[in-house]
Amino acid sequence: MNYEDVELGDDLPIEHPDVSLPKIEQWCEAAGQRFPRFVDHEAARAEGLPGALVPGIMSQGFLLAMIHRWAPGCTVRKIDTVFRGQLVIETELTISGAVTDTDDDERTVEIDLTIVGEDGRTGVIGTAVVAFD
Amino acid sequence: MTDEALDLDTIRAQWLGVEFDVSTFEMQAGPMVAWAEACGETDPRFLDRSHPDFQAHPNFTTVCTSGRFLPDGFPSIGNGFGIDGGKTVEVLAPVRPGDVLTGTATIAEVFDKTGRSGTMVFIVQRMSFTNQDGDPVSIVDWKTIRGV
Repeated sequence: MNYEDVELGDDLPIEHPDVSLPKIEQWCEAAGQRFPRFVDHEAARAEGLPGALVPGIMSQGFLLAMIHRWAPGCTVRKIDTVFRGQLVIETELTISGAVTDTDDDERTVEIDLTIVGEDGRTGVIGTAVVAFD
Repeated sequence: MTDEALDLDTIRAQWLGVEFDVSTFEMQAGPMVAWAEACGETDPRFLDRSHPDFQAHPNFTTVCTSGRFLPDGFPSIGNGFGIDGGKTVEVLAPVRPGDVLTGTATIAEVFDKTGRSGTMVFIVQRMSFTNQDGDPVSIVDWKTIRGV
């Protein structure tokens, strides 16, 4: 994928990230975020949550990985995410993106990003600025 | 102007840009790779330690905090610790294993929004990271939401 290949309005391929317990545990260990609310459904429910939650920062990582797969070798210069709702682990999430702006001088594109939970509710919205060589 | 707005004006005047914490963080390859793998990354720049451009995932610095989110003496706003409203990461340069980052914390913005569930105050804590050479590598904004 080169900058010249990108068109305004292009959709990134939809993905379903792996939010199985082992993956969540792996991220929590790497991030030093070993909180029961991320890995223990019962503990999360005791806090009034619907179940163990996908860490917000990890969900940002899913979006970054999606962008890198869409445009190998690109550089994400900025990513801004808003955590709007709770995303439960061990469910099917859907992540998507769409190109909303292009800058020929900077050779950058802006992408709108979304993560939707299994129940159809939006958990994360955001934008990213991606640079091409 | 409401009293609430006036209070926020005062808070902004007193606290925006004030540095309240400086911490250092040593970057290690193991957690970098584990983080990227867990997020489903497939680009070898973030997975293969022998790759000539091996680096941390772009938002790896979001968890580099000292645990201090507000300056001493910062006024109490709303109830409790607040809700995580999201993160913004500006990537200025790659973070490599062995880098020692210095993170400087400031209050970047305080503002309010009113919706169906009432008025919420957003506090934006900014961590600005430089590497051991003094080069800026990352700016992370933490957005905390508090109901008032």
